[in-house]
Amino acid sequence: MAQVKNRLTPFFENITFDRDDNELILNFGPQHPSAHGQLRLMLHLQQEQIVKAHPDIGYLHRGMEKMAENMIYNEFMPTTDRMDYIASSSNNYGFALAVEKLIGLEVPRRAKVIRMLLLEINRLMSHLFWLATTALDIGAMTVFLFAFREREYLMDIIEGYCGARLTHAAIRIGGVPLDLQDGFLHQLRVFLNKLPQNIKDYEDLLDSNRIWLMRMEEVGVISTEMALSWGCTGPMLRASGVAWDIRKEEPYELYDEVEFDVPFSDKGDNFARYRIYMEEMRQSAKILYQCIEMYEKCEKDGQTDLMAHAPKYISAPKIDIMTQNYSLMQHFVLVTQGMRPPVGEVYVPTESPKGELGFYINSQGGPYPYRLKLRAPSFWHTGILTDLLPGHYIPDVVSIIGTTNIVFGEVDR
Amino acid sequence: MRAYKPKDNVQAKAYYTDRFYVAPQVPKTSVDEDEVFAADLEAIKAKFEVKDAYIQVEQMVIYINAHDIYGVLELMRDELAYTQLSEMSAIDWLAKDDTFEIFYQMLSMTKRKRIRVKYFIKNGEAVDSVEKLFRSADWSEREMFDMFGIEANNHPFMKRILMPYDWEGYPLLKTYPLEGDEFAAWYEVDKIYGKEARDIIGPELRDTARVDRYDSERFARLGHEVPKGTKITGDEPAVTQSYQEEGGVFLIKKLDKESSVVIDDPQR
Amino acid sequence: MAQHKVNYTQDGGLPIALTSVDKIVNWGRSNSLWALTYGLACCGIEMMASGASRFDFDRYGTIFRASPRQADVMIVAGTLTKKHAEFIKRLYDQMTEPRWVISMGSCANTGGMFNTYATVQGCDRIIPVDLYLPGCAPRPETLQYGVMLLQKKIRANKAGNAQKAKRLM
Repeated sequence: MAQVKNRLTPFFENITFDRDDNELILNFGPQHPSAHGQLRLMLHLQQEQIVKAHPDIGYLHRGMEKMAENMIYNEFMPTTDRMDYIASSSNNYGFALAVEKLIGLEVPRRAKVIRMLLLEINRLMSHLFWLATTALDIGAMTVFLFAFREREYLMDIIEGYCGARLTHAAIRIGGVPLDLQDGFLHQLRVFLNKLPQNIKDYEDLLDSNRIWLMRMEEVGVISTEMALSWGCTGPMLRASGVAWDIRKEEPYELYDEVEFDVPFSDKGDNFARYRIYMEEMRQSAKILYQCIEMYEKCEKDGQTDLMAHAPKYISAPKIDIMTQNYSLMQHFVLVTQGMRPPVGEVYVPTESPKGELGFYINSQGGPYPYRLKLRAPSFWHTGILTDLLPGHYIPDVVSIIGTTNIVFGEVDR
Repeated sequence: MRAYKPKDNVQAKAYYTDRFYVAPQVPKTSVDEDEVFAADLEAIKAKFEVKDAYIQVEQMVIYINAHDIYGVLELMRDELAYTQLSEMSAIDWLAKDDTFEIFYQMLSMTKRKRIRVKYFIKNGEAVDSVEKLFRSADWSEREMFDMFGIEANNHPFMKRILMPYDWEGYPLLKTYPLEGDEFAAWYEVDKIYGKEARDIIGPELRDTARVDRYDSERFARLGHEVPKGTKITGDEPAVTQSYQEEGGVFLIKKLDKESSVVIDDPQR
Repeated sequence: MAQHKVNYTQDGGLPIALTSVDKIVNWGRSNSLWALTYGLACCGIEMMASGASRFDFDRYGTIFRASPRQADVMIVAGTLTKKHAEFIKRLYDQMTEPRWVISMGSCANTGGMFNTYATVQGCDRIIPVDLYLPGCAPRPETLQYGVMLLQKKIRANKAGNAQKAKRLM
């Protein structure tokens, strides 16, 4: 069949056949099933061994920072969903917290508890997804099916709360829009009671699996210096011997009230990262149990506020908007023109499932941010591949990309 | 008369601003209020000129000279335990005074403190690369070059990172419109089919609210779908959609909606 | 070897079935729609979810293939950026005919919420599209329904006639 004519040159220019040094240049991606998105790697090979790696990103660059400069603060919230789309609420939260710090808002306690519930559910979802895809890349199809099954339960709970499976937009600047629905806590408890057994199932399948161990152990070793120098955060850094968790060290929300451990390892290899993800799931479950108790205590104490009270920045509750003239006017101004935070700048880091998710906002007192920089952890976790891959073999590329847990919505923004 | 639109900043503008509105400031406090920051500032001041320093939202901000940046970050990394460069980028102030503001977000894990180091450069000047100190700056500086066109001296691979290598224009400049310029609008068509295909493929439809009611190629009224290309009159008969044809499909059982069960609680 | 008792007189149990070439070819084509794993962004995650345990795409004969040469349908799941546009064309050209394209999600349909310099405003500027799925991101059920509609579309074709290649220009 005749193909549609186009101007694209044949794509063999990346394979050089007539070189003296036996070096083969292999193009990996940008659409490779185990690249976790649109990662393009140019690998220089000596036989099977990689001598030079050149990651090429930007295939999912949609210009979010530019969009932020053209959107009022509340408008930008759904866009943050599409950054780390495995755990959307953590992005929503990072942005909401940054704006709240900028305008100096204090969020009601009940909203904080709901936010923590959402954040930890997102962490569980993200880690389950990570486990599923990495296991699939390495060939453990069963784990993929198991982990996706558990993830669907969490998605149902989240969907009941905000109506979306993937792109939640469940957190607003100044609080949360809704109270938990009936049955949220029950469903969550049922899930959490089952979770330890599920995690044990995955571990039974993987921990002593010879294939898994050979692809994971002592592959992709990141030293502490390298991790620090490349700006690694989250599980990547903790696997390399630095016990740094922003939830613990610079607590936000109510993380200083809950009890949890920060797992870390000094091995720095793929297996260490895998163990950390598994352990973090258990810790998230522990936090979620405590959050459920905190929520029930809020309910008992009659704390019903979900949004902060700040008429200059945040719309009044709906009942006020419908009954009070002034609230309606404020709401109208805030929706049509947007809030105008004070002049200043702020950088707020939060611990997203992937690492340190930071929002730098420079406000000039207008309804649009003058500059918004998204500090996404995956960006640097992709960059480290430049230094990490040389010396490894081709099959290791897949397992290393898997354990770095990169999401391209976040890398390219 | 056409409304005047400033050319040096084409980003969205507030359409109403109170003339007498004075925007409040995010409070800045003196560095002396925090012992750790004060000690750090002393150590930096001993070797380099610090133009301004204050604490804003729990983090110290210092302004230095552009040529000192490598030295300051080296001092901070080796002596003050600021071991990580979390983030660096630029802010476009070209419209105001033809400068870029560059910021480096530093983190000390032992002190649990964050410092933002900043300086200004003129338009067209290059920054000193700190890639030798922090490998993370390798990609940050490339991103900054990609987005603002600010080059870094001594950088090993100063090429675009997010946009294609053959891209024209620097997207995060305030003079660059959100929807892109003409080069951006035709980029994929020019590259794949060539310029002569522009007429056939047509311009991009950027108006998100645009719906052609009589466009039967893309849109048909829900429940009143018509074949492609049909002229729509408005009184189409209702069609019930089912994914199987009426006569049944060869070898495939038809779904019986009566006998299907909906599970209430997926976790049971 | 085990002896299976088959009741040939029951419906569907007959060893011989008479049909037209059209029907049997279309039956084969529509019930083994192998899809190219073309997860670009968030929709790709929902595409994976529809292939995973709960939604189980294999029931429809839809198995994800990593190579365009083995795929019949390209599910463009996610935002297509200008940097990537060239590759969608390359992959589409590598697919064998007959081939179909499902554009999944607002971004692939029209650019969606990303009305920016870096996003292609609809993947139908590059390749011809058979089916547009609305949603941001569409649920796995939507994708499954879309595939069923595509099956219906395939069954409506005359398989005996040489298919005209779909052309954008």
